Amino acid sequence: MIHCPSCGAALPVRGLSVPYTTCTHCQSLILRKGQTLEEIGKVAEVPFDISPIRLGTRFTIAGIEYTAAGRVRWGWSGGSWNEWLLAAPGGEGRWLGEAMGLYMLTAQRPDVMTDPLARAFAEGRDPLVGQGLEVDGIAFEVSDVKQAECLGSEGDLPFPTLPGWSMTNVDFRAPGGEALSLQRDAEGTSAWLGTWHELSGLSPRALREIEGWPLPAALQ
Amino acid sequence: MTETQKGTRTLACPACGGTLEVRAAGWSVNLACRYCGSILDVSRPEVQIIERHKRAAGQFSLPLGARGSLFDDDWEVVGAIIRRGPTDRWREYLLFNPYVGYRWLIEWDGEWQFGTPLLGRPEAKGNSVFWRGQRFRQEDDESEAVTGTLVGEFYWRVSKGDSARATSYTSRDLTLSREDTDGEVNWTQLVALSPGHVETAFGIAPPRLSRESRSALYARGEETRKPDDLGRICLLVLASAILALLAMIVISGPVERASGTVTAPFGSTREAQKIGAITVRRGWQFVTVTASGENFDNRWIELDYRLVDRTTGQSIDGYGLSEHYSGSDSDGAWTEGSRSASTLFGQVPRGTYDLYVDAAAHSWPVDAVPDSSNPWSTPEAIEIRIDARTGSLPWGNWWTLVILLSIYPCVLVWRRFRNQNS
Repeated sequence: MIHCPSCGAALPVRGLSVPYTTCTHCQSLILRKGQTLEEIGKVAEVPFDISPIRLGTRFTIAGIEYTAAGRVRWGWSGGSWNEWLLAAPGGEGRWLGEAMGLYMLTAQRPDVMTDPLARAFAEGRDPLVGQGLEVDGIAFEVSDVKQAECLGSEGDLPFPTLPGWSMTNVDFRAPGGEALSLQRDAEGTSAWLGTWHELSGLSPRALREIEGWPLPAALQ
Repeated sequence: MTETQKGTRTLACPACGGTLEVRAAGWSVNLACRYCGSILDVSRPEVQIIERHKRAAGQFSLPLGARGSLFDDDWEVVGAIIRRGPTDRWREYLLFNPYVGYRWLIEWDGEWQFGTPLLGRPEAKGNSVFWRGQRFRQEDDESEAVTGTLVGEFYWRVSKGDSARATSYTSRDLTLSREDTDGEVNWTQLVALSPGHVETAFGIAPPRLSRESRSALYARGEETRKPDDLGRICLLVLASAILALLAMIVISGPVERASGTVTAPFGSTREAQKIGAITVRRGWQFVTVTASGENFDNRWIELDYRLVDRTTGQSIDGYGLSEHYSGSDSDGAWTEGSRSASTLFGQVPRGTYDLYVDAAAHSWPVDAVPDSSNPWSTPEAIEIRIDARTGSLPWGNWWTLVILLSIYPCVLVWRRFRNQNS
């Protein structure tokens, strides 16, 4: 059991080896270095939303069990979205983007960063909507480019979500429902490849209970 | 701004002050106020006005917040749009379930389609597209779809006048609709719903029934009609009238009253005479204001009513006229006008209202200011009793319906009468 160095509240252990965690009690962002805990600031509370996912929601994806361990909420001029960090038992992480009731499950693909369009983006030149990029034989097209800022966060995360943190996000779409996104922030640029899903396609359990909404039969 | 246990976010419209619910908090980007029609940005904790409007308009058969079960899932209506094409107009309803996402209901001339956004993108080949191994042929030329009236919340930026290039592709009973808004392409799969499906699911049966009975009346030709049709038609008319009456009673809601007396002076208007407060306890109700005067003749009283919402300060205005004239001519004595006048306010939204009355009296045939120095002149002012009540029934609409429904049976009766005589 570890405790928040700021307020002393117990910090849940979610089985993911990421350096940052946020105290649910006092919103302190805590950096874990081995056995030492250091408070490095306060993070914004995630604004209220209707998301059916909460920290602790479990998923079964391709036979592997994942647990939602952290979340970042991003805002841009056209709205906002959630990115949930899912932890697998071996310490592996996946990101689950949530927007408009749809889910984009991605894993990092460092090899995509060798593509000329991705390299140009890493150097600060944003692509245009409609420009293409090919990964694993799939033709992706840029569907939008967003300037996003962190609106709040919770749980365990691999990076510090302090106020003012922002990034540029490029989303790509492909005919078969595959998803690709490039993200660039002050720390660097990364590529994420995955697929679009409806919630029922992720076999979720321990979803958030929302008053007035019974759990659909497909999710029970 | 508070977050209720229900999972909805409550906020006050920064344009009109009305209380609004965000049902898909965090997913909804824009919200069109159901009271004033202003479009708000609700994607951040601080709400901002994007487009200011004075009044929410538009008639939708599914109200915001209506719930229904379609294809094994519960859906709540969170947004509604009227859209226009080159030759037609239709309504689109955005359905929401936090566990399932978004769906669409498209209402076109009483017919309904259920829409599911596609995760992938069909591939175009000539005039067809291919989706999951199936070929869909282009149905019509690409046309423009323009957004008109909006109400409720939406997961993208909305604006009156938004325009999209729309094309549809069909394969048997499935339609794929492609919409291109400034280069952003969205695909939706549409399935037609059988008549009555949506009405049953969302419990909005009454309008459908009168529609059916009307089409039953008009659709049949003389030659196919059997002799016993007149009786059946009369029964249908009677049933429709009774159903409409029952529906009116059900939707009219609880009754609340406020009464008072106003003074109508001659030659001037006495303004803002407060009668009292009434509260509309449903989403909306009809409100009737009745003015009744006594013992005046050859006078008419002009009454301006204002129902002022206590929360928003917005007012709904109405007009009443109490009048009575008498005289005699070559046909003898006559009287005209009514000292009692009712004014019906339709669709007054939920809230507490103060009723204010401006009243002015006039004399007939000459609207002269009575001479106060002459003790024999008419009194300087007339007292009018004002009664306001919520939960009234729109009798005028009902009688109009009954008369319209009766036209066809009356024509039949007249024809039979004429045939028998000839």
